[in-house]
Amino acid sequence: MLAAITSATLSGALGCAVSVEVHVSNGLPGFTIVGLPDAAVREARDRVRAAVLSSGLPWPMTRVTVNLAPSGIRKAGAGLDLPIAVGLLVATGHLPPDCTEGLAFCGELGLNGSLRHVPGMLALAEAASSPGLVVPLVDVHEAALIRGTGVHGVATLSDLVLVLRRQAAWPAPPEAASSVNVPTGPDLSEIRGQMVGRRALEVAAAGRHHLLLVGPPGSGKTMLAERLPSLLPPLSKEEALTVSRVHSSAGGALPVGGLIERPPFRAPHHQATIVALVGGGNFTFRPGEVSLATNGILFLDELGEFSIAALEALRQPLEEGVIRINRAGGSITFPADFLLVAAMNPCPCGEGVFDGACKCSVVIRERYRRRISAPFLDRFDLVVPISRPSAEDLLSEAPGQPSADVAGRVAAARQRAAARGDAEPALTAEASDALRQKLRDGALSARGFVKVKRVAQTVADLEGADVVTFNHVSEAIRLRAGRSAVIA
Amino acid sequence: MSELPDEAYAVALALLPKVGPATLRELTAGEHGLPDAWARITGATDEAREDVERHWRRHCDLGITVLLQGDARYPERLCDLPFAPAVVFCRGNPAALSSHPTVALVGTRSPTRYGIGVAAQLAADLSAAQVSIVSGLALGIDGAAHEGACGAGAPPIAVVAGGVDEPYPRRHARLWQRVSELGVVVSESPAGGRTEKWRFPVRNRLMAALSDVVVVVESRHHGGSRHTVDAAMMLGKGVGAVPGSIRSVASEGTNALMAEGAFPVCSATDVLVALSLRGAHVPIPKKPAAGEVGKDLPPSEKALFDVLTFEPTSLDELVRISGLDFAELCGGLERLAQAGLARDLGGWWERV
Repeated sequence: MLAAITSATLSGALGCAVSVEVHVSNGLPGFTIVGLPDAAVREARDRVRAAVLSSGLPWPMTRVTVNLAPSGIRKAGAGLDLPIAVGLLVATGHLPPDCTEGLAFCGELGLNGSLRHVPGMLALAEAASSPGLVVPLVDVHEAALIRGTGVHGVATLSDLVLVLRRQAAWPAPPEAASSVNVPTGPDLSEIRGQMVGRRALEVAAAGRHHLLLVGPPGSGKTMLAERLPSLLPPLSKEEALTVSRVHSSAGGALPVGGLIERPPFRAPHHQATIVALVGGGNFTFRPGEVSLATNGILFLDELGEFSIAALEALRQPLEEGVIRINRAGGSITFPADFLLVAAMNPCPCGEGVFDGACKCSVVIRERYRRRISAPFLDRFDLVVPISRPSAEDLLSEAPGQPSADVAGRVAAARQRAAARGDAEPALTAEASDALRQKLRDGALSARGFVKVKRVAQTVADLEGADVVTFNHVSEAIRLRAGRSAVIA
Repeated sequence: MSELPDEAYAVALALLPKVGPATLRELTAGEHGLPDAWARITGATDEAREDVERHWRRHCDLGITVLLQGDARYPERLCDLPFAPAVVFCRGNPAALSSHPTVALVGTRSPTRYGIGVAAQLAADLSAAQVSIVSGLALGIDGAAHEGACGAGAPPIAVVAGGVDEPYPRRHARLWQRVSELGVVVSESPAGGRTEKWRFPVRNRLMAALSDVVVVVESRHHGGSRHTVDAAMMLGKGVGAVPGSIRSVASEGTNALMAEGAFPVCSATDVLVALSLRGAHVPIPKKPAAGEVGKDLPPSEKALFDVLTFEPTSLDELVRISGLDFAELCGGLERLAQAGLARDLGGWWERV
């Protein structure tokens, strides 16, 4: 007897439709899975056997062959347990042959026959091609986010068998929790002083400019960066789907009752390996931090401590907004369109040259600076020197401007930018002369020239001005002034 | 091949292994002349002869002037040295070594922004007053001094440890080129030789000898500038030091020098006065009266200018003190910088 069941497997952050074919024939009792299964899929044999027996159904004393088609792509994860079990029951005649028509199945089996959560359900639900979809009860809401109707949740294999034999109706889905308001994280009002740092955050958020904060330890670089998410507008439906899909495929839980709607904030530790940052793996490709930060913020604290290779690996995603992972076993593309925010000390002792307190030798300082290559530094539109807040600022009782106010300006500026489209910024004569002069003096490189113009445009957008003035250009130049402290 | 000049043999002798300034002096002091000294050491084989020719051609091609002691162009100032170098190699115009009053600006390789600023300013002011700046083209103060000295004015002089054909540190290759175009780069080492470590402190005595006054801009407690200062004191040259904060490690050496009797250098005028006392004819410019600077600025910029001090102030502070909106503040500072009244020190601002 032969049965074919529709299912899906993860390939990167996207799903891929899979047809599970189960063939039962006479011969020595055995169970073989073919079609490029990974270790978790191969182990399905033992889980499926135990689950079938626990559900009070017999295990066939015949030869069972499972083929996962298309056989050219790798199948990963335990989500194929359920379709294999259903296919087996159909092939052995314990389920009517037509009962799986129009249904796809996805779920991991426990030894007792219960159905468990599968990572990446969002993408799987998208890929499974049939009108109906059967998933573990816990995954119903995630799958329904993408498909709307036709998603059925079951708690155990024996429940499913009853439904498929038409002896019971589909169980009711669990109560949908209403979308909760996710807190936006720490607020800008908790920061005293730091006028330049605040301004840099605002400009970075408004124009999606990559930002590097340079300053001595304890000056508040990390505190500032952590408050950047609160300035970003919520994700659009499309962005939310991309973010949720990546998070789900990495095994992360989605928020109760919906998609991830706030821009993600990822802060990998500086010892992170290249694979942890950009993603990878051999059979199953896992998204890295760059992909988990897509449509949000990737924050690299202590930039100078990251391995040089890891930082250089970021250049391609920074350029293209996606990361391609190539292995002998195949290649995959993950989204990686993030806003890069980094913080570093000007030198290992941290005091830099701002106030002459640096105790590092020339050689040590040089070595530290060489860790950040010039092409990498060029990716940052904003390189902002941060100084320690003064005692007056720290002791002042007045709270800083709250995030909500700044976020309002950011949203307005983004709207202006979107309305303007790709048009070249309009500069006043004075502004344009000043820029040209800088270019001629060698104070700006060709790339710097373009970047300053872009940042100046964002500054003008924030102010609601139609033309870019001398002041806007000056501010853009000031927001790059930290380069002199970092570049060798 | 007998038509090769003495200088060619001097180059060949200087390039021999284990030949330092002292040995070279002995060799060149021989009665029978340089070709003879060379022949005795190398045996005058054809191979050695080819080497001499090759190195000499290289020096000629690179435009390196080889000055033997006794040559009319050999700088007179070096003759004061107890062990004056027998040969010096110059790239640029050797006349610059004697044409102007000279001041050495030396200091640490890890300066503060204050030190860099002061060195560049002193160098620019002094060279505008027709005083040649002598320095070592090293990182830090030396480099800043030469940067400042490469404007209009007296020709800059660089005293380097290695061959004059090979810029060291590499980062200063362009500066090196500019100094050799505007003034002269001088060394005791021939082109194409290895640069041994001991040559760095040894060149400091040349620096001291070539200058009328030595000014230490910033130096740590046991900094290398001490070699130059000791040589200068031995030669009876004037030594000045730029006062620094008592809290700055980079000024420990200079503050200690003043305690030992070095004269304090607070402006180019102080150096010019010291030079005049030593008989140099330099005009001493008048200081602009206080309150005159920035008088004609428009009111908004004047207000900002009044907020600025000579102490670097962070942008954060300036936002707070001036009460201006950030873009306005940046625009104002940019205009003041264009007018040459303010300067950015990596995010900190001060008056010029």
